[in-house]
Amino acid sequence: MKDTTPPPAIITLDDVHKYYGDYHALRGISAEIRQGEFFSLLGPSGCGKTTLLRAIAGFEDISSGHIQLNGRNMEGVPPNKRPTNMVFQSYAIFPHLSVAQNVAFGLRRTSMSGDEKKRAVAEALEMVGLKDYGRRAAHALSGGQRQRVALARALILKPKVLLLDEPLSALDKKMREQMQVELIKLQREVGITFILVTHDQEEALVMSDRIAVMFEGEIAQLDDPELLYRRPNSRRVAEFIGMMNFLPADVISVSDGRAEVEVAGLGRAELDAAQCPGGAIVGAARIGLRPESLTILFEGQSPEGGRSAEGVVEEVVYYGDMTYYDVLIDGAPNKVSVSMRNMPGRRVLERGAPAHLAWDPRAMVLFS
Amino acid sequence: MGESHSGLRRALRSEAGKGLTIVSPPLVYSLLLLAAPLATIVLLSFWTQQFLTIDRTFTFANYEEALSDPLYRELMFRSLRISGMVTLVTVVTAFPIAYFISFRVAPNRKSLWLFLITIPFWTSYLIRVFLWRVILAYDGPVNGTLLGLGIIDEPLGFILYNANAVVVTLAHAFAPFAILPIFVSLERIDRSLLEAARDLGESHAMTFFRVTLPLAMPGVLAAALIVFIPTVGDYVTPRLVGGSGGTMIANMIYAQIFDLNNRPMGATLAVLAMGTVAVISIGLILLTRLWTGPKR
Amino acid sequence: MRGGGLKVYAILYLAFLYAPIVLLPLFAFNDGTVIAFPLQGFTLEWFAALLDTPALHEATLNSLIIAVSVAILATSLGLFAARAATRYKFPGKPGILGFIMLPLVLPEVIVAISLLAVLMQLGLDSGLWTIILGHSLLCMPFSIAILQGSFANMDQSLEEAAIDLGETPLSTFRLVTFPLVLPGIIASLLICFTISLDEFIIAFFLSGNEPTLPVYLWGQLRFPARLPVVMALGTILVTLSVLLLVVAEFFRRRGLKRAGLEDTGGFL
Repeated sequence: MKDTTPPPAIITLDDVHKYYGDYHALRGISAEIRQGEFFSLLGPSGCGKTTLLRAIAGFEDISSGHIQLNGRNMEGVPPNKRPTNMVFQSYAIFPHLSVAQNVAFGLRRTSMSGDEKKRAVAEALEMVGLKDYGRRAAHALSGGQRQRVALARALILKPKVLLLDEPLSALDKKMREQMQVELIKLQREVGITFILVTHDQEEALVMSDRIAVMFEGEIAQLDDPELLYRRPNSRRVAEFIGMMNFLPADVISVSDGRAEVEVAGLGRAELDAAQCPGGAIVGAARIGLRPESLTILFEGQSPEGGRSAEGVVEEVVYYGDMTYYDVLIDGAPNKVSVSMRNMPGRRVLERGAPAHLAWDPRAMVLFS
Repeated sequence: MGESHSGLRRALRSEAGKGLTIVSPPLVYSLLLLAAPLATIVLLSFWTQQFLTIDRTFTFANYEEALSDPLYRELMFRSLRISGMVTLVTVVTAFPIAYFISFRVAPNRKSLWLFLITIPFWTSYLIRVFLWRVILAYDGPVNGTLLGLGIIDEPLGFILYNANAVVVTLAHAFAPFAILPIFVSLERIDRSLLEAARDLGESHAMTFFRVTLPLAMPGVLAAALIVFIPTVGDYVTPRLVGGSGGTMIANMIYAQIFDLNNRPMGATLAVLAMGTVAVISIGLILLTRLWTGPKR
Repeated sequence: MRGGGLKVYAILYLAFLYAPIVLLPLFAFNDGTVIAFPLQGFTLEWFAALLDTPALHEATLNSLIIAVSVAILATSLGLFAARAATRYKFPGKPGILGFIMLPLVLPEVIVAISLLAVLMQLGLDSGLWTIILGHSLLCMPFSIAILQGSFANMDQSLEEAAIDLGETPLSTFRLVTFPLVLPGIIASLLICFTISLDEFIIAFFLSGNEPTLPVYLWGQLRFPARLPVVMALGTILVTLSVLLLVVAEFFRRRGLKRAGLEDTGGFL
């Protein structure tokens, strides 16, 4: 059950700009990051997500705008005085120190006694599953272990916000998936706000409470993962997150935000306001439809809502658990991708086979 | 807030500002101890000296004399000839060594080989040169060995106190300078390029000439320059093993300043030597670019 | 066997490189006043003679004072340049760094006479300090080359991590940067010391009446009777240089290991 009132903001970004010479890296970023949430900055390389993270940490001066952290303006506050800690992309584990010395690094300036420090280090190591690793030399660790040391080192200072700069990109696929789950658990456990920078849309969807999708120094959309996936507000966001089919459509009429559209190959459909995130205007447009929202009907099956179309299978790509078909729908100018779960007794169609497709207008999104 | 007065602070805190601030101590040092002195000898070369007094009237007299006197001309040409010879010998003999270390030595042994090659370079230059005089001497080990093997009946006299001796000695002294840049450029060659050439039907030898050598040219050029430039101005080797036929321009510069008390002439010869070396080096760089650059 | 042929060549080349150094101790311990074959027998006489040559001791002291000063001065300046070269972008960077590295290729005679010319124009006497300044100019490029390697091997986010964890830029340098580049600093100190100890031309032009060891040696080369003693001195110098080098190389490799890197051959 979701709380109806969102928790208060821990970070407020207000019209943040950053120039490198003539290059405009951040173009008016405004957003609120809430207390205790797992927030992701998602975008292709060069979109400014790392710059924004480093600006929050204090490693980059911003050219204009304001960054408020915990109610305090951060202008002129150096990174060592900010209540944030960072997990670096390279982990930045000090190679000349042991694991325990690495974790204890930030405690040097605290008023803790030696024993307290030892206890804190032991707790932090246990939290990340490296209980007996304290005496190890840092350079002898594996990638996943370095990642954990970096986490323990940053979390031991109990920051208001933990910043993670592509923390999983150096790990192999299996390890990455395992660490994703561990990070989510850890975040829930400590209740600290996490801000994750990533270029991997799947990672962002899996881990985040909310995601800001960035292109060219601007936030294109900020929503929770489900909305972002189901109701992308632009073609660009739709294409960046998951796979999206586009078909030309004609908006026939608009009333109360609801739009009546005629979709090439599929026919007439009525979309509600939420399905038109960019608004609807009468005239030529495009509708977007995820591959899993189209279903190939096999012998004996009939569409639930009675909506169906005919086409021909042009390409078959078999993934084991799934099969992806490229289907050319009669009357449509371009192919669409259809994903089907492989199940016992369900055969995989061959190229050239006729395909009977069911579709659901509720899964459509309108782009002008 | 505070944006108006933070402009200068920001400029200093900017990356360029920090970089310039940090590089300034060594830069100022080099300006004071390299740029200013070089400017001084250029200035000095336009003055004249009579006994101990320096006449500060601006004149080209030194240059006219330096360029017209056959003695200076001969010394300049000889210096360039000997250095050119040294460069050729050093680079040609160094290339196989660099190639051997880069392509034939196991990766974990490479640094050992490089270390072995650089050690002699770090030992006293003076003593090494002097020992070449011993080695090449009339009664030295080279003649001794050749006599002992019965290859010659009489000690060879032409191997010491002439230009040949200077070439051998300098080739020895500058060997690591030639090997290292060539080695680095060979190491940078992506090994799959060589496999690609072989895959496309070239023999080992032709792969070497069509792929390896052109890609190693920047290193070869660097090696040639790093040997050529300092050897033109070498003083010790010609003095110790060169005899009268192996005297080079640096010996004349020294003589002008300390023995003949004509500092402006010494400065003039130094400026001319530097200028000539610079022109030849730039020519060599352009020529190599033309030769190895993409053909149009 | 291409590889085999090359290996034979490489070994012959090494023999060529080491020939003079190998001969040195042969004559230093040879019981004969002439530097020539055949060898006469073993003696320590020439080493003993080194002990009662006051001029030599003075020259040695001069050389040590110069070499230590140069090592410190050149390495300090090199630290700044290497740091700027590896961490910052600034206008004119290639030109500025190229200019600082110029003494690496400039004929030493040119450096020497231009420094001499300045001294003469300013009416200053040359002395140990002028040699220190000249040698530092010469050693700085070597120091920069070594330290650049140390700085480049160090992940920049290590320093940021320290600051992120609450340290000031100054304490970050002390706790993180310095320990990590320390092997490079030691290697640079040793290399600069060695170069200065062996340098002849600048010392020869600028020494005035305070000769360094190589300048003293040069003077001795004129007297055939002194040559065996020179050989003994040379043996000591060469041994010392090789020792310092081995130590410098040891620290360079330890630096690599500390930074968690493989030794790829030292120059890449």
